[in-house]
Amino acid sequence: MSKISAPRSNREFIEACVRHGDAVRIKQEVDWENEAGAIVRRACELGAAAPFMEKIKDYPGFSYFGAPLSTYRRMAISLGMDPASSLPEIGAEYLKRTNSEPIAPVVIDRKDAPCKENILRGKDVDLCKLPVPLVHDGDGGRYVGTWHAVVTKHPVRGDVNWGMYRQMMFDGRTMSGAVFPFSDLGKQLSEYYLPRGEAAPFATAIGLSPLAAMAACAPSPIPEPELVGMLSGEPARLVKCETNDLEVPADAEIIIEGVICPDYKVEEGPFGEYTGYRTSPRDFRVTFRVDCITYRNNATMTISNMGVPQDEGQLLRSFSLGLELEKLLRSQGIPITGVYMHPRSTHHMMIVGVKPAYTGIAQQIAQLAFGSKLGPWFHMVMVVDDQTDIYNWDEVYHAFCTRCHPENGIHVYRNTTGTPLYPFATPHERKYSIGSKVLFDCLWPVDWDKTNDVPTLVSFKNVYPKDIQERVLKNWESYGYPQAK
Amino acid sequence: MNQWEVFVMDMSELAEGKDIELSIRTLNPGLQKYTYKRVRAQVSSSLDKFADRLQVRLGRGQLSAAKYSIKVIEEIQRMPAKYL
Ligand SMILES: Cc1cc2nc3c(=O)[nH]c(=O)nc-3n(C[C@H](O)[C@H](O)[C@H](O)COP(=O)(O)O)c2cc1C
Repeated sequence: MSKISAPRSNREFIEACVRHGDAVRIKQEVDWENEAGAIVRRACELGAAAPFMEKIKDYPGFSYFGAPLSTYRRMAISLGMDPASSLPEIGAEYLKRTNSEPIAPVVIDRKDAPCKENILRGKDVDLCKLPVPLVHDGDGGRYVGTWHAVVTKHPVRGDVNWGMYRQMMFDGRTMSGAVFPFSDLGKQLSEYYLPRGEAAPFATAIGLSPLAAMAACAPSPIPEPELVGMLSGEPARLVKCETNDLEVPADAEIIIEGVICPDYKVEEGPFGEYTGYRTSPRDFRVTFRVDCITYRNNATMTISNMGVPQDEGQLLRSFSLGLELEKLLRSQGIPITGVYMHPRSTHHMMIVGVKPAYTGIAQQIAQLAFGSKLGPWFHMVMVVDDQTDIYNWDEVYHAFCTRCHPENGIHVYRNTTGTPLYPFATPHERKYSIGSKVLFDCLWPVDWDKTNDVPTLVSFKNVYPKDIQERVLKNWESYGYPQAK
Repeated sequence: MNQWEVFVMDMSELAEGKDIELSIRTLNPGLQKYTYKRVRAQVSSSLDKFADRLQVRLGRGQLSAAKYSIKVIEEIQRMPAKYL
């Protein structure tokens, strides 16, 4: 039996959040057009409890759950940890679990799968029967997929991919989505389906267990069904789709099955994005034709509302991008103390602490980070030494402003991979996903003499003898100060 | 009278006095609100010219002050036959 007691479904997660005061039940009717989105947005901006909206205008029987993982407390709850756990503790737990043995999923019988309680096929298929919200006023459409997994399988290699790629309702049977060319699904389409003009089966699962959603967003090389098992300590329960061979999480609230039409694009966007802007304009993007919809009784649709910090687009992605990079750097034997992405950087800045063991270590880190699969998602790497607390922005900022040489410490990498979502990028760069990157090397150069060249850090901890420090700490309150935090 | 909305990158996409192809979404109240149709249509900056109204948004969702009337001539099936 698993020692981890993480919520196994979206429903168990909502209950756990309500129990801890991290979700509120909203009983009054909420409009799917803007109102639900505005509630989620405000909750994100306030860092407030997640809204569980039990009554939706025009859609009796359905509910919404918004901002599922936009706080570290809810992230801790999703992992079955104490909600008060600190970020380094949550990170250490994620690393421990995702470095453990993979746990294969189990496929259960259709009749035991809650997601099959209602099935719409043929002429009954109509996305308008689902409470698809207009998340932000001015969005290009109502978004079906904002917190979900698009499930696909490589037709030859058989690799399964779950990815969170936003999906807009174009009409009752068509969705359009933002699948970037460097994503796993983007590569699968361009490598196999597009040259053949062949339809690619997909299934979108909405209202996942929080750890299944976390896996779908994680830039991890481990196949997501196994990753969910590792994160939750027990096999993920999957079930076969109705119209294709794919397997989807059996406890999901809603499943949408169909095919991707690789050589036929329809309009998608604009949409509020994780950077805090609508940057990528309306464009022709990937088309999903819908063939079947299955859903649980009283299904709950999950909503992530991306905009200014902080929502799961920043919080969760900063978390998993940072930790997956940490794994990569450790696998290369680099003596790092850790990797942290502040959610407010909208996962654009990777802060890495390292023992400055040899010349060029910061450049080695930056080249690995930018050159990895994760690289397109951020453009700044800041490397600080092992004495700097990477989680303490005051310390990091001080190191940056005092140790990063404006000529020797800043390294720019040109013509790399970017995303169309970078607000600072030129329209041309956005159109062709052209990126550029920068390293801020905040390490003292290894060839400086430690005694005569390296400045001495003038801090309480660094310049006073131990006995004086202890005396001052002991007498602090008797000097007349309140207890220091 | 039906209410429609269109997204354009440039107002020149709404050429008057000829048939044009547009993806427009319905703003009529109901479950279908915000779903799209691909249509052949005529548009006019004179609100009296055609019976239906067309509201315009720019590429990043900004609502344009410009208002049009529209006549939907026919719905167009864009999806290739192999996917129908
Ligand atoms: C709320 C949310 C929305 C996201 N939307 C998109 C999206 O529309 N397109 C995309 O390529 N990635 C999106 N991502 C990031 C992907 O989920 C992430 O890159 C994931 O690892 C899938 O990428 P992969 O196919 O490369 O593994 C989103 C992430 C979150 C948390």
